[in-house]
Amino acid sequence: MRILILIRLSARSVGRNLRRSVLTAAAMVVGLALLILSRALADGTHEQWIDSAVALGVGHVAIQAPGYLETRKLEDRLDAPAAERAVEAVDALFEPALLRAWVPRLSVGGLASSASSALPVQILGVDPALEPSFSALQDRLEEGRYLEPGDRLQAFVGVELARRLELEVGSRFVLTAQTATGDVQGQLVRVVGIFRTAIPEMDEGLIHIPIETAQGWLEAPGAVTGVAMMLETSEATDLAITRLEAALGGDDGLDVLGWEETSPELADAIRIDDVGDYIFHTILFAIVALAILNSVMMAVLGRRREFGILQAMGLTGPETGFVVFFEGLFVTAASGFFGVILGYAVTWGFFGDGLDFSALMDSDMSFSGTIIDPVIYPTFSIDQILVSVYSIVIIGTLASIYPALRATRFDVAEAMKFDR
Amino acid sequence: MTNHDGIELAVRTEDLWKIYEQEPKDVVAVGGLSLEIERGDFVAMAGPSGSGKTTVLNLLGGLTQASRGRIWVGNEELSALDGKQLARLRLEQIGFVFQAYNLLPVLTALENAEFTLLLRGVPARERHERVMALFDEIGLGDLADRRPGKLSGGQQQRVAVARAVVGNPALVLADEPTANLDSATSTALLDIMERLNRELETTFIFSTHDPRVMERARRLITLVDGRVEQDERRAPARLGA
Repeated sequence: MRILILIRLSARSVGRNLRRSVLTAAAMVVGLALLILSRALADGTHEQWIDSAVALGVGHVAIQAPGYLETRKLEDRLDAPAAERAVEAVDALFEPALLRAWVPRLSVGGLASSASSALPVQILGVDPALEPSFSALQDRLEEGRYLEPGDRLQAFVGVELARRLELEVGSRFVLTAQTATGDVQGQLVRVVGIFRTAIPEMDEGLIHIPIETAQGWLEAPGAVTGVAMMLETSEATDLAITRLEAALGGDDGLDVLGWEETSPELADAIRIDDVGDYIFHTILFAIVALAILNSVMMAVLGRRREFGILQAMGLTGPETGFVVFFEGLFVTAASGFFGVILGYAVTWGFFGDGLDFSALMDSDMSFSGTIIDPVIYPTFSIDQILVSVYSIVIIGTLASIYPALRATRFDVAEAMKFDR
Repeated sequence: MTNHDGIELAVRTEDLWKIYEQEPKDVVAVGGLSLEIERGDFVAMAGPSGSGKTTVLNLLGGLTQASRGRIWVGNEELSALDGKQLARLRLEQIGFVFQAYNLLPVLTALENAEFTLLLRGVPARERHERVMALFDEIGLGDLADRRPGKLSGGQQQRVAVARAVVGNPALVLADEPTANLDSATSTALLDIMERLNRELETTFIFSTHDPRVMERARRLITLVDGRVEQDERRAPARLGA
């Protein structure tokens, strides 16, 4: 009952000292809005990195043979029955839909030789019908075309490889690799298209050929080195892994791997970037907390007489502190509400079409198999709102405690003398 | 609480001191004050500025702690009470009127006046009726919804008096209540307080420089340097007693 009176008194004080309340709230509203903007852009950046990496790599989730991740050797492949089981397991991701695309792949390290030179390369056998819906490589076409269903001896090569081997669309060259039986065999292919990714390792050393050609040449009929899956969002990765593992029923011959395992450098880069963000947010919060503390403290010191009156009328010191504390909570709650609105209005109003850094950076920037897009698109998530609001509530609450404690410790008679 | 003669007391102090420690020399605001104030009395404390009048009222109201000595209000010895008990005593037994009105700026006149009733848990309807009856009597009926900033000094002080007396406390401590008021308003307020004193036997203790207050007091205590210089009984403590 008494607590309700204190709450009402606090609400009254906040509502009827609107200018003071708005000034106190302003720091929190702006801080929260900045936090939301910063988080949305950081998450958007990370999502873009992941999208880029998985589209050029092995997807958000991959099913591989145990050991393949470390050896990358053909002997650690999924033979035809295992590959079929892996493909059947992909069905687990269709309902409800987590899956954007999936592809079987057969990958082997080998040598590409032309009349002029020979270079080590990674040869990727792909399904020309499925691959375009998965890989971003065909979007990076420099010349010619991507593989198509019905192709047999066609190859899609990187621009740097073509330059060094002096190849052009229509040129023939030989791929040599150790087959599944241990023999070394060559395969003549013809350049059908040339790509440019801005990732040197890819442009210099990646070749796509039809998977059936690769399986025949490498004497591994029906085999794959992995089934790669692209999800609707990277956030679904853990759920997808759980479902796939359940669908595979603990099959020892099949490993389900998330992008953090298949692209550990990218995962590390995101973690490092997150640490930077956390430091920035901590500094931001410290500034916001000090601003709140300052505003609430000034309000408390300027209202000593008022708190003296409350105690003269029969409130205890702690109850007076509660009035101040509840005022802080009310201002925090209102700030949380308006901060979220402002944050999302600014984020999507001003940056919904992306924050363009192309004037500041090379459009061909890349790291760890990821192409850096100079345009950052903000990403929305409930987690962002919850974390931001929790953070601001904690900051607001903590920043209200000290002024509340001060309000409990006035000498009432002295406080009543205090001139505003 | 009664004295040696069996007379019921509202307030009693015994060797009461209030010393403010400061450089280069401590200031003695109240020095060894021993007083007995009968229940239902109408007492004025006079004296020059700095004589300790306000400090005595603050000590009696438990708003500040004595350096030494003891104080009883009703049957409660203040030094034996913790903060919560002291707050309850102020809420239930003491009404304050301050020279500077000291209304809560965020509340309306009505809300200010009913605040102690609210804290006591009096139902809203009864609070409203009691305050409005008092407001009508002191000419504030039309101003109940105004906040203090929209009231004149006299109106604010009337609200402050209403707040002090609406809960029918046993003791009202009034610190220079007429200092900022015109003659007519002062007279009206004193009339109200005198009536409450007469009808409800509420004990009033004023600190004042105002001759109009001193004239009406039935006991006039003159303080100088925190000590009683003169204590003059002009009429029986309780009218009709």
